[in-house]
Amino acid sequence: MIDTKHQIRFDPTGCVGCKLCYKACFVDVIRWDEENKKPVFKYVEDCEHCFYCASVCKKGCIEVIPDYSSEKLLQTFDRYL
Amino acid sequence: MDMKYGHEKLQADILVVGGGIAGLTAAVSLKEIDPDLDVLIVEKQTAGYSGKANKGGGVLQYFDLSAIKPEDFVAYHAQAIGCFLGDQELMAKYVSMNNRMLDKLVEWGARLPKRPDGTYAVIPTGPMTAIIGVDLDITLKIRQTAEKMGVKIIDKVAVSDLLTAGGKIAGATGFSIINGTFYSIRAKAVILATGSQNYRVGPMWSSGRGDGIAAAYRAGAEMRNAEFGNFAQLVKVKSHQEVVYGENYMYNKNGEHITKRFRTGPEPDISSTAIAEWYKQMSADLGPITLKQEQASGGGLSGLWDRPYGQTFWRLNEESAARVDQDMEVCPMLIGEQSPVKVGHDMQTTIPGLYAIGDVSYCGSAAPGAVPAPPGRNRGSGILNAVFAGISCAQSAADTAKSGALAPVDEKQVNDSAERVYAPLQRASGCSAKDVIRLVQKAVGPMEQMVYMSAHRIATALRYVEKAKELSQTMKADDFHELLSCHEAEAMVLSAEMQFRAAQLRKESRGWFLREDYPETDNKNWLKWIIVKKQGDEMTFATEDVPYEKWPVKPQR
Repeated sequence: MIDTKHQIRFDPTGCVGCKLCYKACFVDVIRWDEENKKPVFKYVEDCEHCFYCASVCKKGCIEVIPDYSSEKLLQTFDRYL
Repeated sequence: MDMKYGHEKLQADILVVGGGIAGLTAAVSLKEIDPDLDVLIVEKQTAGYSGKANKGGGVLQYFDLSAIKPEDFVAYHAQAIGCFLGDQELMAKYVSMNNRMLDKLVEWGARLPKRPDGTYAVIPTGPMTAIIGVDLDITLKIRQTAEKMGVKIIDKVAVSDLLTAGGKIAGATGFSIINGTFYSIRAKAVILATGSQNYRVGPMWSSGRGDGIAAAYRAGAEMRNAEFGNFAQLVKVKSHQEVVYGENYMYNKNGEHITKRFRTGPEPDISSTAIAEWYKQMSADLGPITLKQEQASGGGLSGLWDRPYGQTFWRLNEESAARVDQDMEVCPMLIGEQSPVKVGHDMQTTIPGLYAIGDVSYCGSAAPGAVPAPPGRNRGSGILNAVFAGISCAQSAADTAKSGALAPVDEKQVNDSAERVYAPLQRASGCSAKDVIRLVQKAVGPMEQMVYMSAHRIATALRYVEKAKELSQTMKADDFHELLSCHEAEAMVLSAEMQFRAAQLRKESRGWFLREDYPETDNKNWLKWIIVKKQGDEMTFATEDVPYEKWPVKPQR
């Protein structure tokens, strides 16, 4: 997936700095702010909407909002371009 | 070269590249053989969270070895799936090891559901096959086991090139995606466990970007079955969620059950003929193609066992998809799964001391024959193939490490690698990695170019690949994240080139490989593997006869 327009909402109030979301992201969307012990959602345009970050967050601080229409099916028929 | 981002020099007896389930299995197996071996895993994201095993259906193939013989499954597979291109001996070894692998996974901490009587909770899927669930923390559990055994792990370092000395493996180079530090790592043996090539098309579990394939190719390792890197799956057109087994319920706009046009009886999984039929129907203005809602399952295996770790992951995915899916209109999406690094039964590549395991070498091992990497019409084979390969390489890799010495560093190789790796950061202007990937995707995305092929359509795809190759020489990166994208884009160009050029050569249809212009299987001329190898600056192609005479199941010629 490239050029996606997914959104990630992060509520820092419950975040305990466990770093699991940072570890779970396998496409380097999430970086870690060592000073504040918080995730930085730095490369959201590369998000593949796997929900792994949201599913490992025990405090429910992360919400992934996919924009499926921004993911391309890459077929040559008009409806799937 | 001026290493302005820093230079970390490391060494290990054995370097494992990739911290998914294959790499972790290999590392643990090496430590079981000899706890004194110095084993280092380098992973470009985070070991235990990377790879496919923690993002899929979480199923393991199961064989009841008290009821079926490995050779029975091999005979079925050789004819129905591998179409005589598979190494039957290696497939038999994989099946024979099935129960032992499951026990090993449990020993390493994986949670497999059991019945009250202590036996595994198995679900039959066919006359000889069955599946068993595993929770998605399987790789995390094995990472914990590996660390307890003394395996060292470095995360967030992307391996870029392999180092050789006198034709043998000598180590690898790489860079930190966080701060750009250059790494040169000397090792007596290197195990590539970097996954397949998925061209960054599908989301989720198809996460391989082929950088290990590219590194092996650049180092001079041979590739085999590169043309079988074109797996595709039907997905719902809104959410892009896969509909496993949906090919059995395909209907056109006139209400015709079009599955009957390509399938006369039960088959184990999706076939390229289903993709071809979708294309034919769409071309004849008989689309869109939908699945009968009441027949198609939607593909979920999440509810069959209690798997607490994976449950939230699956629930979030399914709930989100359900919000956009209005009907069961489907379209194929490329998964890819090119896995061509050629290996022998001990998973050693054609470069002594370099091993390749899991999805980087599934087709290259020739075990499966004429089908892309797992699932490869064989649900549950992905995780276990990785475990099989990880165990299978360990003794030979340990012996190599124990009998050899660290080779001296070839400074020129290290400098050339650093220069190549950082080139996109040095350019004042240029295109982005995504500009290159977009062109590669124009080649590999459309089903008629990648799956239902013809000479003309392969040539069309190759024109895009050539353009992508040219453009890739001008990629510019502004940070280390983009540098990684550039590195992966280069690998995609390379994979696509070998994919289509090998496909151009194979003038027949066999198993998953399907050409409109050569619809017949040609046992007279094409019981052959296509071998790809870098010689000088050229990508060269040769063929190798499949030694089917020495295996029990023989084709008719």
